[in-house]
Amino acid sequence: MRSIQSRLLLAASVVLALFLGVGALALDRAFKDSAESALEIQLTQQVYALLGAANTDPQGRMRLPESLPDPRLASPDSGLYVQVVGEQDSYKWHSPSSVGRSFPAFKAIPPGTPRFEFIAADPPFYLLSYSLLWEDDAGHEISYFFSVAESAAGLNVRVAVFRRTILLWLGGAAILLLLMQGAVLRWGMRPLREVAEDLRMIETGEQERLNGPYPRELNKLTDGINSLIEHNTASRDRYRHRLGDLAHSLKTPLAVLQGAGEGDDPELLREAISEQIPRMNEIIQYQLKSAAVAGRVAFAQATPLRPILDRLLNTLDKVYRDKAITWRCQIDPEQLFPGEPGDLLECLGNVLENAYKYAKSRIEISIKVDEKQDIQRLSLCIADDGPGIPVEVRERVLRRGERADQQMPGQGIGLSVASGIVHLYGGKLEIAESAWGGALILIHMEN
Amino acid sequence: MRVLVVEDEEKLRNQLKQRLVSEGYSVDVATDGEEGLYFAEEYPFDVAVIDLGLPKLSGIELIRSVRNQQIIFPILILTARDNWQDKVEGLEVGGDDYLVKPFNMEELLARLNALLRRSAGFASPQITWGPIAINTAQQQATLQGNEVLLTAYEYKVLEYLMLHAGKVISKSELTEHIYDQDFDRDSNVLEVFIRRLRRKFDPDGELNPIETLRGRGYRFNQLQPPA
Repeated sequence: MRSIQSRLLLAASVVLALFLGVGALALDRAFKDSAESALEIQLTQQVYALLGAANTDPQGRMRLPESLPDPRLASPDSGLYVQVVGEQDSYKWHSPSSVGRSFPAFKAIPPGTPRFEFIAADPPFYLLSYSLLWEDDAGHEISYFFSVAESAAGLNVRVAVFRRTILLWLGGAAILLLLMQGAVLRWGMRPLREVAEDLRMIETGEQERLNGPYPRELNKLTDGINSLIEHNTASRDRYRHRLGDLAHSLKTPLAVLQGAGEGDDPELLREAISEQIPRMNEIIQYQLKSAAVAGRVAFAQATPLRPILDRLLNTLDKVYRDKAITWRCQIDPEQLFPGEPGDLLECLGNVLENAYKYAKSRIEISIKVDEKQDIQRLSLCIADDGPGIPVEVRERVLRRGERADQQMPGQGIGLSVASGIVHLYGGKLEIAESAWGGALILIHMEN
Repeated sequence: MRVLVVEDEEKLRNQLKQRLVSEGYSVDVATDGEEGLYFAEEYPFDVAVIDLGLPKLSGIELIRSVRNQQIIFPILILTARDNWQDKVEGLEVGGDDYLVKPFNMEELLARLNALLRRSAGFASPQITWGPIAINTAQQQATLQGNEVLLTAYEYKVLEYLMLHAGKVISKSELTEHIYDQDFDRDSNVLEVFIRRLRRKFDPDGELNPIETLRGRGYRFNQLQPPA
């Protein structure tokens, strides 16, 4: 199910059905219990009415009269039946209504305590049993057992009517609730539909960003999408800009080659080729690398630093095996550093390769973390014991390859590319002198 | 030394082959990853130059397959894509060094040389056993400090034996490592090279640097410098 609205509607319907179902069951149960308890009271009162109407015979024993308090007891099949049995004087009486009916055998119960039960016979009925002790004139105690039965049909009809009413009302309420739920959902989901529509308009170029206003809950999402769109636009512009730069900066060396090719001196051509090819290579490397960097993305991503450093150190150990460099990396395995993993690998690869290339035997990597008011300032330090980079060329080293007319053969453009990447993340790469007199590269970033 | 070059770009492949042959290597070339893998499995190379962007089987896959089969010759990775992701991946799957295109041929030769030296367990290009020394970078041989002029094949035989000094090298092994697969081999020629090397480095027959073990091959003795 791919629609949030359908999901919510389905979930709400299931909950509603469960809730109303359980509610209906509880109401039904309560109504039936109450009806049965009313019937129990009614049947108990029948017993008391009969006792009230009872006479005594000459020996003082209880005898029931011919005319009865409830007219239903007089007409056959009325639904109300009574039987009274005297235990010691073998007295047996039943109401005229119960002609041809048999009562279940009387179960012993304490005198004065009525027992009410449902008897699932055909037809079913409710039975109230009651026993009492009667003292005759001779002072003998006689037990009389009253059985008052009422057909279940009446109660069942009342329960059925109640059920129909309940079903009607609850069903109506459910339909009404579902309709309201649907309307509320549609209203609640409207901002999402608006975002989708705005995105469609961005796709078709009718607008450039999500303009809103959107509800508070969506702001993080729409801001994120806007940042992504901006990042994307910036990347596209950067590519375009770099390609323009690349084409432009390649033209100078090409012109030199063309000039040399048109001349007659093969030695001059050879010289031009061997000079211009490394220069062109440097330009291509710098411009393409700078264009390929992802740069700061919308959700300022931070990457665990140690795994990247370990991969690079293992790789460079292999390449510079002959130099037997000893390195020390004092960085916590949990330490995060701002930047997309690919950019960090590229940046640190260039810095570390430089360190391996120029170190005599030692490299040390450490980090300084300074936290102030929710802003974490990180300084990654990479020190080597090589010859170091003289103060006067530091600025140029960091800008190498950037401008076509700056030609500096020899060292690569690694530090310049690394500096460019750090810069894209709003950080700064600095060249200083290490404690051993070699180069110390400092990468300052904010988290 | 026998080198495998796996490169799909024809011009570069031919340049590499030409230059390596002129430097005294026996060169076999493959034009794609699958062919490269076949060669690597079938012949005993001393070193390989593998381009990463290969058709059929990528350079990374090729190196991985080669290493999975416990083939241990050193591998120099060539790559046109100068990013660390590729370099690190290539070296992690089993490459030993990398070179980014366009490269300087001298640089490639120096790297190959260093790889060969390292794989034989030598830290410096200068390999010395007693009065006999070779410089694998300059492909020069000396006896008591004086240069001895050698033909390309004489040098190849001497270099292979000296890099594996103390080990018995069969004629077939020596043949495999100094000739490429297209070469018409004749084991009698090997005997001629050995004879000439003995004449040049041990004219008096006192040193006995190259020992013949009948039916087994040759052994370069780990000569000690004179006290």
